Amino acid sequence: MTREEVMTGLVEILRTVRTIEPAKLDTITEETDFITDLNTPSTEMINIAAKAEQKFNVEFEDEDIDGLGSKVRDIVDLIMKK
Amino acid sequence: MSAERQVAIVGMAGVFPTCHSLENFSEKLFSDQSLIRNWELATLYGKNIRSTVAGYVNLSEMHLDVIMSTLVKDYPETYIDNLARIPAINLATADIGSIWAMIASIEAIRMAGWEAKEVKSEKTGVIIGSGGAGNTILRPGWNNFFELGIKSRTIGSHTIDRSMGYREAANVSCLIKSKGVCESIISACATGLGNIGYAYRLIKFGIQDRIIAGGIEETSIETFIGFDAMQVLSKGFTATESSRPFDKNRNGFVCSFGAGIIALEELAQARARGANILAVIDGYHNNSDGDGNMFAPSFSGQQRLWQGLMNDSGKQDKQNQKPDVVKVHGTSTPAGDAIELLSVVDFMGTDNYHLSAPKSQFGHMLGAAGAVECITALLMLREQKVSPCLNSANLNTEPEPFQLNADWLGPVEPLAAYRQLIPQKTVSKEINKIVCLNYGFGGTNSAISLSKFRA
Repeated sequence: MTREEVMTGLVEILRTVRTIEPAKLDTITEETDFITDLNTPSTEMINIAAKAEQKFNVEFEDEDIDGLGSKVRDIVDLIMKK
Repeated sequence: MSAERQVAIVGMAGVFPTCHSLENFSEKLFSDQSLIRNWELATLYGKNIRSTVAGYVNLSEMHLDVIMSTLVKDYPETYIDNLARIPAINLATADIGSIWAMIASIEAIRMAGWEAKEVKSEKTGVIIGSGGAGNTILRPGWNNFFELGIKSRTIGSHTIDRSMGYREAANVSCLIKSKGVCESIISACATGLGNIGYAYRLIKFGIQDRIIAGGIEETSIETFIGFDAMQVLSKGFTATESSRPFDKNRNGFVCSFGAGIIALEELAQARARGANILAVIDGYHNNSDGDGNMFAPSFSGQQRLWQGLMNDSGKQDKQNQKPDVVKVHGTSTPAGDAIELLSVVDFMGTDNYHLSAPKSQFGHMLGAAGAVECITALLMLREQKVSPCLNSANLNTEPEPFQLNADWLGPVEPLAAYRQLIPQKTVSKEINKIVCLNYGFGGTNSAISLSKFRA
C-alpha cells in the first residue's frame, strides 16, 4: 500500500469524525496537524487510531498509540510501518 | 448570608412522550390525555419481559439520528441532530439523555430571556441529574469488551463522558459555557425535584444567581427491565389505563422516560430585568424515612416532610398557607399511593384543595419525574387548571390493612372517603399555591411549594 493510498483511506476515516469540519479535509496534507489545524478534540485521536486499525487491517501496540504525534504524517508513518 | 433572597422560576422546557413541544404537552395534560403507549421494543422480548407499556420517546420524535460504530457491535458512535440545535462536538460527548438535557436547557434559557453574559457568568450554575446510569452506552461497551473480547480502546474515548453520573449537567455546562456550580443530585425517583431543590438553596443562600436545573431519564430498555424484574410495573390494563394512582385495582407503575429542565433566578434580579416570572419558590424540604426500609413508604417520614416544608417556607400557620393543589408522587403502586393520600389528608385535611397525579397521564419518569411534574405544576399555575388523576375510577371502600393496626396513627377512613380530592378530569379553579411531592428508593422524600408571583 502506498502513502497516497493510506492518505486516501485516512481521509475517508476522518470524514466520519463529525467533530472535524469536512471542508478542512479538502486541503489536508501529511503536514496537517490534527489538533492545531483540524481542531480535533484530543479525545478523538484514539477513535481515529482505532478506526485506522480496522480500515487498514493492522494492529497497533499500546506504545505506538502512546507515542503517536499529532500530525497526519505520524499516523501515516505508523500505518506504513505495520 | 442573604436571608431575604427569594427564588423565581423564569423558564421551563422538557422532553415529553408523544409531545412535540411544551405547549403540546400542556394541551394534552389539560385535555385529560394519556401519553402512555404500547412499547414495541419491549414486546420483542416475549415472555422474558412482564410489562410492555411505557411513556417513551424515540430518536426520530426528537429529530435525532444515530451513527452506529463500525468497530463495536451495537454501539452508538455518536448522534446527529437533524435540527442543528446541538453542535457535533457536544453531541460527541452525549448520550441521549444528555442531548435531551441540552435541547431543553437551550429552550429554558430562551424562555428565561438570559443573555450570553448572564449564562456565562460565575453566578450561573447547572444542577441536573438522572436516576439511571448511562445504560444505553454501558451495555454495548461492556458486552464488546468482556464478552466479545475487543480492546478497550476500540470502544473509543466517549464511554465515560456518556455514562458518568453527572453527564447531563456536564454536557449542558459545556454547551452553555456557564462558570458556576455544576453538579448532580442523585436520589432515585426524587432526583428531578432534588436537583431543583438544591438549585433553589444555592440561589437562596447567595451562592448562585441563576441555575439551570432538572431531571432526565433517557429511554432505556436496560432501565426498564430492572423494574420489570421487581414485578413493580403495571400489568393487565390497556396502555392508557395502566397508570391508575389511588384506584383500587392499581397494581404497579408505568416505567416512563423524559426530561424536565427549569431556569431558576434570584427574584430581585429577575424582577429588575422584567422577566416573566412563572412562579416563586416558597420553600423546599427533603428528608429520609429513617426506618431502614429501602422500598416501603413511611407515613411518619411524610409527616415530617410536610412539617419541614412549612418550616422552610417560614409559614407555620398551615391554615393560612394551604396549597390549592397538592401534586402527589402517586405512582400507582398499591402501598405507595395509600400511604401518600393518607399523609396528605393528615396534614391538609379534606377540604378546599385537589390532588393532581401527573403519573396517571405519563407514567413514572424515574429520575425525571420530579422535574417534569414540577413543570406540570407550573403549567397548572399558568392555566389555572388542576391536571387529573386518570383511571382513579374506584377507590377502596374498605380500610387498608395497615389502617387496622393498633399502632396506626393516621386517618382511619378508607381511601374512598377522599373521592372529592381526586378529580378524574381537569378542574378549572383559582390556583395560587401548589405543593409538589416526590419520593425515592432509600426512603428519601422531597417537597417544594410554588406560588404565583404577585408584584
